[in-house]
Amino acid sequence: MSQSLRPYLSCVRNTLTAALSLSNFASQASERHNVPEIEARTSPELILNPLTVSRNQEERVLIEPSVNSVRVSLKIKQADEIEHILVHKFTRFLTQRAEAFFVLRRKAVEGYDISFLITNFHTEEMLKHKLVDFIIQFMEEVDREISEMKLFLNARARFVAESFLTPFD
Amino acid sequence: MANINWRTINIDAYDPDSAFNFDLTTLTPAVQPVSTSDVQTLSGQIRQLVRGGNAEGALQGALENAPYGADEQGKSIHLSVVTEVLGQIRQAEMTPILQRLYQADGGSELCDTLMKYIYKGMGQGAPGSGAASKNITPQATGFSQAGGRNFGGEGGGQSMSVFLSWHEKLVEMVGPGSIVRVMSDRRTV
Repeated sequence: MSQSLRPYLSCVRNTLTAALSLSNFASQASERHNVPEIEARTSPELILNPLTVSRNQEERVLIEPSVNSVRVSLKIKQADEIEHILVHKFTRFLTQRAEAFFVLRRKAVEGYDISFLITNFHTEEMLKHKLVDFIIQFMEEVDREISEMKLFLNARARFVAESFLTPFD
Repeated sequence: MANINWRTINIDAYDPDSAFNFDLTTLTPAVQPVSTSDVQTLSGQIRQLVRGGNAEGALQGALENAPYGADEQGKSIHLSVVTEVLGQIRQAEMTPILQRLYQADGGSELCDTLMKYIYKGMGQGAPGSGAASKNITPQATGFSQAGGRNFGGEGGGQSMSVFLSWHEKLVEMVGPGSIVRVMSDRRTV
């Protein structure tokens, strides 16, 4: 693990652990409703101060806590145009299958690549530290995945170009 | 009036009794308004201390006099001073300085304030706080040339790693409770 990645991930881990103390909270606006307050924004006193953890300008995590839900948004490193396209495709693939991931949000928060929404029901039926581990592991693996895909793409492009140009040799 | 889509009107906003109009000032402890010029004078004094080699005293002074009542401009001035002080302190000195800060009277409050500044410092440059330029140059041919995206976080990477190592050391000492207090305290820095 690179030298600057470790403090970044541990900072995110600590912040998430602190933010994930959620309780059941029924909607104050309409009876028999129970909605994630961070999305509904029906009352300002239920929303806590949002926190940002950044490694540099391109890689950061936005954590927006509220009384019964936390929204975690990631900005994934994109060093060039190819990585930008790969990140877009990859996050699109995941968000289209958001149901299978439970905590994944269907649409990322503006300015970020992928968002998770964790509610008190998630923390009730899943283990909190495992949820934190999942997000940390996701952050670790998404970088690796993207750079792997980029290498693969480059190798493939080289092979294609080679075989395309063989007849003209 | 006719061209307003009435389905999008939030009627809760017009009801003085609804939770949407909850008065947040009842949750905010009273803070004294601080003028920008006062913040500027204070930042000058703190910079003086740093130049004199007393980074610890500068940090303590900056955290004790956090301008909760200042406007956005005053707060950003103070943030830049705190960032400067944090950057001046070497990695090896962080833990002893934090220990002395924490064990002094009202030390845990100072540590919470420091935590607030660390998060605020990392939040700089996030979307919404910085101006996002579209990066399109119009050409004489009539086609607009879209410039490349600004890749590679060359800006701010250095100061972010300073914040991250401070954060790590601080959490080690004061625990996650400090982060919770940053989230729930309505007095923002």
